[in-house]
Amino acid sequence: MQLKGWALDTVLASSAYFAASILTFEVLMPLQNVFFPEYPSHASLLFLPHGVRVLAAWLLGWRAIFALLPGVFLVFAMVGGWDVFLPNRLLAIGIAVTTVPAVLYACKWAGWDLFPSPDRKPCWLCIMVVGIVTSFLVSALTNMAFGSSMAEYIAFLIGDISGLFFLMLGLYLTFRFIDRRS
Amino acid sequence: MTEISKLTELRKLMQSMERTLGLEELSPVERDIYYAAEELSKTGREVRTFGLIEHTLVSSVSRPTFFRALKSLVQKGYMSQSGSANRGRYIVHAPK
Repeated sequence: MQLKGWALDTVLASSAYFAASILTFEVLMPLQNVFFPEYPSHASLLFLPHGVRVLAAWLLGWRAIFALLPGVFLVFAMVGGWDVFLPNRLLAIGIAVTTVPAVLYACKWAGWDLFPSPDRKPCWLCIMVVGIVTSFLVSALTNMAFGSSMAEYIAFLIGDISGLFFLMLGLYLTFRFIDRRS
Repeated sequence: MTEISKLTELRKLMQSMERTLGLEELSPVERDIYYAAEELSKTGREVRTFGLIEHTLVSSVSRPTFFRALKSLVQKGYMSQSGSANRGRYIVHAPK
């Protein structure tokens, strides 16, 4: 029963990550290139997958690492082909799936437990703060792994933070739309 | 946590965002009562006023405010009085 739940979490989290990546790379980035053709970086300024990994880690805790791994690997393989097996790509995959749960558990250890609880109201601004902190960490660590420029670093930061905010806003509007339809 | 509970937590997170951004249809007290009722309704079909008023989210709300907000929730269709003879029982509905 527990195994079935974990499998379902993995399918849902990885599918959400993959779908958010497709939307980012196939729809948002072409639009970005049309509206900001002079922008020097190849990174997305609205990186929705960051929102998926933050919300997955918030809901699933450490299990988000394994739940997101297939989706993150698939996206890296889609973008880089066989290069996905290069050490720096594997390191970047590891950074992408572990950083958010690590920050959430560090917060909990420091006495700031943000994980969902039935008797507590969730705080979306706190989740945004965690998203911003992890974005700094992920950007710094990923840039170290890839050896990217400062422009890429700034682009990663903007993309992650806006991606988290707009993913949550999109989710909110989706829930509202479903509620009105039902 | 079950899949339904995860969805509920996600919805609660979105509702906290809704509140901060001023997109909500309910007042803070109405929202707290609705959260509490939603939580309590997991254990049974109906929610009793007695249990609701003692919930952590609602315990600091004064009785007149509580009953005013409860009445408003019923009028807005978020909750309805149970058909049974006991008037202190409510059924929780999904937001419209």
